[in-house]
Amino acid sequence: MTLAEPDPRVVRAWHALRGVVDPELGLDVLDLGLVYGVAIDDAGRMRVTMTLTTPGCPVSESLADEAETALAWALGPSTPVAVEVVWDPPWTPERISDTAARRLGYRPRRR
Amino acid sequence: MTDLQAAAPTAAPAGIAPGSAPPPRLPLTFIAGAGFGFVAFGIAVVAVRETVVKIPDAPTVLASAHLCMLGFLVTALLGALHQFVPVVCARPVRSVRAGWVTAALWLPAVVVLPVGFASGHPAVVSAAGLSAFGALCLAAWNLSGPLSVPARGTSVTGLRWAVTLLVATALFGVVYAFDRTGNWFVLLPTRVLAHAHLGLIGAVGLAYVAVAEKLSPMFLLTHRPGRSPTGWAVRAIPAGVGLLVPGLLFRISGLARLGAAAVAVGLACHLWSLARTIRARRRRLELLHAFVLASAAFLLTAAVVAAIAGFAPVDPLWRVRLVAAEIAALAAWLGLAVIGHAHKIVPFMTYSQLRAKGCHHGPAGRPLLFSDLYNRTAARATCVGATAGFAALTIGLITATSGLVGASGMLLVITGITATANLATGPARAAHLAGRQHDFG
Repeated sequence: MTLAEPDPRVVRAWHALRGVVDPELGLDVLDLGLVYGVAIDDAGRMRVTMTLTTPGCPVSESLADEAETALAWALGPSTPVAVEVVWDPPWTPERISDTAARRLGYRPRRR
Repeated sequence: MTDLQAAAPTAAPAGIAPGSAPPPRLPLTFIAGAGFGFVAFGIAVVAVRETVVKIPDAPTVLASAHLCMLGFLVTALLGALHQFVPVVCARPVRSVRAGWVTAALWLPAVVVLPVGFASGHPAVVSAAGLSAFGALCLAAWNLSGPLSVPARGTSVTGLRWAVTLLVATALFGVVYAFDRTGNWFVLLPTRVLAHAHLGLIGAVGLAYVAVAEKLSPMFLLTHRPGRSPTGWAVRAIPAGVGLLVPGLLFRISGLARLGAAAVAVGLACHLWSLARTIRARRRRLELLHAFVLASAAFLLTAAVVAAIAGFAPVDPLWRVRLVAAEIAALAAWLGLAVIGHAHKIVPFMTYSQLRAKGCHHGPAGRPLLFSDLYNRTAARATCVGATAGFAALTIGLITATSGLVGASGMLLVITGITATANLATGPARAAHLAGRQHDFG
């Protein structure tokens, strides 16, 4: 495998996260810019770091669980999964993709 | 390490403690109770339509007012606080069992107490008042666990004050209830108003201001630069209520007016914050905001009516009508906010339950969304009906038109039944449709 070819498990993980939808907004966590990193760590675990739109978000206790379930289903038992919710850097609306912003009815505001 | 994305987070997780919220059935029990309380209030309004325009402080009218305040608004508030406070403070309530005891003490009391008023049985009023007071003290103790977390911002500061003032309101109520048999003091109309303003603005109103500060930016994806005016609101409102209430109790008009001015500043800060949030939004306004904007219009109405009643040289008869309308407009402010937010938080809580039962898809086959868990046409009708009902009530009280008051009660009954049935049956409907699609798909 070369640097230009990502690990297929990482690609599967990204595809799996595409199916994790914020139930309030109806948009997936990738389009919302909630996923900060997808990587396989030295112990062979799929480590996903993600955030939420705000601390104290009502879905805080379910969205990370849903991501973990989707990843576990996509990767199978051979690849353990760890989803970590982080608050730094904080999420801002600028992280929303252009497509998602249009669906929300707003053009993204770029700094 | 193979990494597809360069962005690397720099900090450890913070802020959210998994499992902070109590089981959804606890807050949902209160919110279902609030739905019944709202319907009962509408029925009571129809029943007292003739009396309320002639004798606004008649026992049957007091019974109706308590159905609104206790049966509807405070019951909904207790449900919301048991869900919201642990999540936003990242610490669970002290005891879920105590939450259930609160519900067991509270829900029967808010039915029995108005019945005691209406039927003229002071002992029943006292007993139910004590039960309700015990429930609120227990709720305050339970919520003090999460609310005692250090430095959690404007919302938590507001909620601490709101819970404190809720207990103070209940204490007033117990004293007033026992005064009906003990005759310790004359229950002047201004003293009744002191109680009403303490409960409506100091407890429920302040709690709404504090919760809205957290929820409004979240629902609209608003990131506002600078400090929020709500920081002033959560300080000015309790300070103002602290002056207004003794001013009304002891008929010190200067103190009451100073308190009213501070309350007005606090509520203006809340509206300013709401306007800033809406202006900086990153998504379309939706049904919730129709409720919120109608609610804000009633707050402005209440302020204008209160200013006329308090400062203008009006006939005493007109002053009584204006004050009654002000109380109705304050109830409308909070009632519409409660109903609107119920269409957000009830689907959120039932969503978790549906997911746990394996229902992951909505009626259209796409992932299950909160908006799949209620009928949107019925929700829009609820918004129109509740707004029209409260408007008719407010206008009916100002103009002393019993027909309009009766019509408002009918509208509130229909609205309450629609909203409660819509939110109660939505999850089952979504699960049924999803199951049927699964069967055929």
